[in-house]
Amino acid sequence: MSISVLNPPASCILNHHHQLHKFNASPLPPISISVCKCRIRSAVMVADETSSSLDSSPISTSTFPLFHPSLPPEPTPATQLEPADPDFYKIGYVRSMRAYGIEFREGPDGFGVYASKDIEALRRARVIMEIPLELMLTISQKLPWMFFPDIIPVGHPIFDIINSTNPETDWDLRMACLLLYAFDCKGNFWQLYGDFLPGPDECTSFLLATEEDLLELQDKELASTLREQQRRALEFWEKNWHSAVPLKVKRLAPEPERFMWALSIAQSRCIDKQIRIGALVQDSNMLVPYADMLNHSFEPNCFFHWRFKDRMLEVMINAGKKIKKGDEMTVDYMDGKMNNLFMQRYGFSSPVNPWDVIQFSGNARVHLDSFLSVFNISGLPEDYYHNSKLSYDDDRFVDGAVIAAARTTPTWSDGDIPLIPSLERKAVKELQEECQQMLAGFSTTVDQDQKILESIPEATRTHEAAIKYRLHRKLFIEKVIQALDIYQERILF
Amino acid sequence: MASVSPSWYYQDGGLRRVVCADGVITNKFFTRNLKIQFGVPFPPSSSSKSRSYTTSPLKKTHLPLRIKCEKNDKEEEEDSYKDVTIERAPYYSYMDSTSGQMEPASGARASIPSEEYWPEGTSSRVRAARAPEPSGVSTGKPSFGKNPGSRRKKYKSSASASQTNLVVNDQAESEYSLDESKNGASEFVVYQTEPEEEEVAGYDLDKKIGNPHSFIDPKAKIPMDEPLTSEELWWNWRKPEKEQWSRWQRRRPDVETVFLKAMAETGQVKLYGDQPTLTECALFRARRHIYKEERLQDEFDKLEEIGPIAYYSEWVEAWKEKDTSREAVQRHFEETGEDENTQLLEMFMLQTDREYRIMMGTDNRIRRDPLAMRMREDQIKQIWGGDPVYPTVNYIQDPDEVIDYRGPDFHEPTPNMLDYLKEHGKIITRDELEKVLSKEKTEVLEMADIDDAMARAVDIGENDDEGEESEAEDDTNEKATRNWSVVKNNAELIKTKEKAKKDSMSLEEAVDDSENLTDFLLDFEEDD
Repeated sequence: MSISVLNPPASCILNHHHQLHKFNASPLPPISISVCKCRIRSAVMVADETSSSLDSSPISTSTFPLFHPSLPPEPTPATQLEPADPDFYKIGYVRSMRAYGIEFREGPDGFGVYASKDIEALRRARVIMEIPLELMLTISQKLPWMFFPDIIPVGHPIFDIINSTNPETDWDLRMACLLLYAFDCKGNFWQLYGDFLPGPDECTSFLLATEEDLLELQDKELASTLREQQRRALEFWEKNWHSAVPLKVKRLAPEPERFMWALSIAQSRCIDKQIRIGALVQDSNMLVPYADMLNHSFEPNCFFHWRFKDRMLEVMINAGKKIKKGDEMTVDYMDGKMNNLFMQRYGFSSPVNPWDVIQFSGNARVHLDSFLSVFNISGLPEDYYHNSKLSYDDDRFVDGAVIAAARTTPTWSDGDIPLIPSLERKAVKELQEECQQMLAGFSTTVDQDQKILESIPEATRTHEAAIKYRLHRKLFIEKVIQALDIYQERILF
Repeated sequence: MASVSPSWYYQDGGLRRVVCADGVITNKFFTRNLKIQFGVPFPPSSSSKSRSYTTSPLKKTHLPLRIKCEKNDKEEEEDSYKDVTIERAPYYSYMDSTSGQMEPASGARASIPSEEYWPEGTSSRVRAARAPEPSGVSTGKPSFGKNPGSRRKKYKSSASASQTNLVVNDQAESEYSLDESKNGASEFVVYQTEPEEEEVAGYDLDKKIGNPHSFIDPKAKIPMDEPLTSEELWWNWRKPEKEQWSRWQRRRPDVETVFLKAMAETGQVKLYGDQPTLTECALFRARRHIYKEERLQDEFDKLEEIGPIAYYSEWVEAWKEKDTSREAVQRHFEETGEDENTQLLEMFMLQTDREYRIMMGTDNRIRRDPLAMRMREDQIKQIWGGDPVYPTVNYIQDPDEVIDYRGPDFHEPTPNMLDYLKEHGKIITRDELEKVLSKEKTEVLEMADIDDAMARAVDIGENDDEGEESEAEDDTNEKATRNWSVVKNNAELIKTKEKAKKDSMSLEEAVDDSENLTDFLLDFEEDD
């Protein structure tokens, strides 16, 4: 993804940059220096890397626990970060997990997976990680629930707890129980791996959030959903971990916080995959050790593949993807979902979610085809993408937000009927007004939000995430406004 | 320079290095391989051929290997040197004239197929195996599920990272203390996460190190009960011997079993029951093997230690009193010039036949194994059988003995067959036979009493009356015999003839009387 450094609305862009700069100043002081450099060199190609890195950092620095930390400006995004503890890979290597050409790095925002060498674009997808089944915790989604590997002995009371969950909706509760049991199971890999999972203080999932964090979201629906989830988790804990429960179960989650943490891990790090084991094909929820350290991106590098022959989950690079040393490996967590769903499940949000939606009311419509052509967005509505081949100059402006704008703004398209510029302008103005109204509806502005983020020294992760959520929302709306501006200018071509 | 492996330029431009196993190349190796390198100091002034080792291998350089072709004093001339390049064989495989097939040049196995030909899954396994092992030592310790996130680097956002660190630390400490107190209350089971170092001593130390030690730890030894007899031992099941008419038909026992039993009986070895079990037999076998090995090793060591003459003089009576130590042998050598082998030969010349046999151990007449001699007769017989000629006492025969072979199904004495058959009527006497035969033969003889003359008489028709009758009879007879379509027997013929003679019947009666119309066929003369 790229931010175009366009000349006309320079103020906007610089403002944007400024925001980002401010934004990044908070995590690590060294970055600010580099960002200054970046601004000077804004017209230069290199800026694209940095700006793109800066751009993608909002995804990452939204403190999703798996995240790669903020990016260094110079050659690679990875060099800023420290390599992870060598034991991290070693415990997997010993159990025949393999990582090819990548390394795990750690930064202020968590872990990330980076390429350790350049990889050519091949026709074939290449494997970068393979994790055997024995290291994972897998439960099939449908009844009968089968565990791979089968670590729960039949007589264990946790088995009854798992059996009591609702088959349709409670997959995360089951997963959390299994995870807790695995932590308790002697000799289990998760006992070692759990040390590298984000702890309760580092986890951004909103199950562990307080009321004020929920209020900070400034989104009532999302807040209520999250409250509902918290309540559900707490209920489940109380039901199954009451005081009279046997010690075997009790020591798994002596406090509700531990259970909530486990549930948040289960929710945010679970992969839903249809796997085939032997002849059995089943949908399953899997907690995969090293693959869950991959961060999310809307333009991912990698995907998950199940190799049924030796029962390994492979993380493979998309075919045709050229990767330089230090690039981050990313996966698409959820396809086609809005920010609030991401927030709900994973605890992070992104300003460039191409599936974000703004509810416009009113009749103002914009001509779709011209809008798309202005920004060189091509593809079908499900898969809009920025077609960089069409643009002459390097367009940094079009990113996921613009694509989302293309999707969410009400548009009309009627065959060959051309647009009428004046009508279009009017429509654009109306839409922009609506957006401004929405922005005004928030209690704080973007600047204020960023100031808040900087100013709070020891914000809990959830607090930060909440603020960032609304910040991203505002950024998105602002971006829509900008896009409409540009569109307006470019209508007459 | 001796430590640098020589690198040679191959003609194809590749640079190859000689691999030296120990990494140290002696000068000798160097000179041998580089031929005249040291012998010819190449003067740096020769600009015509500049030998620079820094030129790229692709250029045709003067290669450092030259063979001196002629021995002449003019050095540095082109003629006297021949440049030699070390070339690889230009082929990897060739058509072998002996086998008529393609053979690899190196004589080793055929080349390993490349990745395209590997079976499926091999490439991923190879890749997994080739992946380098992670190096690096971690500073943290695993918490085994107690503190998730403990080994992550704790970053906190913003400038007050130190503050937060402190806070975090405090929190961590407080958490830790909380955990401790909680541990006391709710955690009943504490897992040991680190191996404890224990001091071992005594028996355990011996066992660990490998010092000789008894089988059972003397501290942990429980005194054994009185061993049970074979019948009481629950594992001592034996196949019931099938009904055999001789004891020789049962399976032969194992040598070791019998030996072991004999040893147990003489008290050399203690068994748990009265019959040795498989384990005990195995143990016995192992011990015996090891003892034998030890003895052999001792003998060998002794031979090495005291020298052959001293060693073998044990079996040479005549050499016993002589001094056989090494010094004596040496002195003898110095005195007489006979070396050790010659002395040995001399010694063996004095060895007797019996002594030789004893030494070689091949004489059956000489008692060898004392235990085998000490075994009881039946025990010996179990293993080696008895005397091959008279294996058991049963075979010794008393010439006057009357042996009674009667067994359980001993039957009545065989009766007189003749009488038996006669009684049952299967045989008759000759007289009776003749009687019977004669009865049969009289009928036949009656037939033969008929006067031949009369039988052969043919009626020629002299007596008309009688002749007609007889003629008619004969004729009709003949006719009857001739006309096969008219099949009549004599009786009927005779009857009809009689009827014809009477002439008293009416036509109807005649018709009724006749058999068929042919009866009325008159006698047509055939002559007509």
